Amino acid sequence: MSNKGSAYGQAAGDTDFRKKYDLDEYAAKAKQREQDEKEERKARWEAKMAGKKYYKPLDGSETLTTARNATQDMSKMVGKTMLVPAGAGVGKRGRGAGFYCEHCDLTFKDNLQWLDHQNSPQHLRAIGQTGEVRKATAAEVHARIELLWEREQEKKREQVVTLKERLEVHKEREEKEREEKRKKRKELEERKRLEREEELKKKTDYGEDVRIEGEHDEDDMMAAMGFTGFGNTGKK
Amino acid sequence: MTKTETHRADERRFLDERGSAGPLAPNGLNPATIMEKAVRERIVDSYFYKEQCFAVNEADIVDRVVEHVDFIGGVYGVVQKPTPFLCLAFKLLQLAPSDAILEEYLKFGGEKFKYLRALAVFYIRLTRPDKEVYTRLEPLLEDGRKLRRKGRNGTSLTYVDVFIDDLLTKDRVCATSLWKMRKRDILEDLELLEPRVSPLGNIEDLLEEEDERIKEEENRDRYADDSGSVRSMTPIKADSSDNMDVDDLEDRQDRSP
Repeated sequence: MSNKGSAYGQAAGDTDFRKKYDLDEYAAKAKQREQDEKEERKARWEAKMAGKKYYKPLDGSETLTTARNATQDMSKMVGKTMLVPAGAGVGKRGRGAGFYCEHCDLTFKDNLQWLDHQNSPQHLRAIGQTGEVRKATAAEVHARIELLWEREQEKKREQVVTLKERLEVHKEREEKEREEKRKKRKELEERKRLEREEELKKKTDYGEDVRIEGEHDEDDMMAAMGFTGFGNTGKK
Repeated sequence: MTKTETHRADERRFLDERGSAGPLAPNGLNPATIMEKAVRERIVDSYFYKEQCFAVNEADIVDRVVEHVDFIGGVYGVVQKPTPFLCLAFKLLQLAPSDAILEEYLKFGGEKFKYLRALAVFYIRLTRPDKEVYTRLEPLLEDGRKLRRKGRNGTSLTYVDVFIDDLLTKDRVCATSLWKMRKRDILEDLELLEPRVSPLGNIEDLLEEEDERIKEEENRDRYADDSGSVRSMTPIKADSSDNMDVDDLEDRQDRSP
């Protein structure tokens, strides 16, 4: 297809608004896709011939696996109702009643299966993880121990029983909050001051008689026509 | 990303290789078979292990110990559930932390979290050669903090030093058969180890002191018999309380060789 001509011999003049496609680019894209598919087919076939299961090769964008932070509390889901489209899931496939994994499009009936799935290499691949965990160094272990110790101490401090100590803890906390507020306020003031300075600078740069485009157009027009406003004041 | 910088998130490869390809523990044992098969399978099947020990590295172990371990033991309850302590010990066997990290667990972390120390001590007993086990564990026998221990027949109270002593002397602790270490005296005879000096003092000195005390007591008794029965009451009382102290010391000496 040529870009110039039309079915009637001469180019239509009123179709310029249409998007022009770069045909070569799309042809190259299609070729690339076909190439990739062919390669994958071949790899699959080779794996099958070797009696192995085919896995998509890693593309380098995978991240390392990290440990889960919190316990997965299944008991908080007790008593909850979920609406599930009837017939949406077949077996585990698709969204059904149970624990649904969005990445793998699978549904599991109990938390053990769910957990097994979460740990499975199939799932890890689906969420783009390698299933490898970074080794920690001694320094990191040290830092972690310190952090946890701090947290425990913090907890202990909050668990005091006598009124006096509680008041003290409360006082400390209030002091901290106040300090934070003060900091925020100061930052805000500083920012405002800077903005103001910036504005002043602009004004002095452009001189006194500077207007923002279109701001006073209406007033000017009305002044030119000899009145100062539409007559809605009389109705009051 | 090189191989040495990462662990596998799950234990599958660790258990599959069964030590045929992976490195052995420093004492020459295969870390995948240090725990018994029955226990190992219980651990791998347990909910705690699947949920909390997946994709955990050496630093996260500390997290888990602080959050979840509040008793030691092997398996507990009627269904013989493996304890979190044992699950984490198994995870440590897979991670095979370096000596520097173990030192952090033992000293810096151990001062703060007693169960972390218990875990590290247990791991060291399982994987390190006998000389190292003695030299690293014996200084910790001064730690007298309480530990809760859960077994098949209920919960009991022990102490960190008692636990370490069990590890050094018994052959089965926490549902795990400990490998047979050479006895301390043998290592001393081979001049691999210095004789241990208890923080309470030399055992022979203590025994001598006790002998002297007993002799003195006898002398005093004789003296008291000579002079009259009424006056003898007070010194004997004082002596007997002293003796009790010595007995106590001796008890502790027995417990912590």
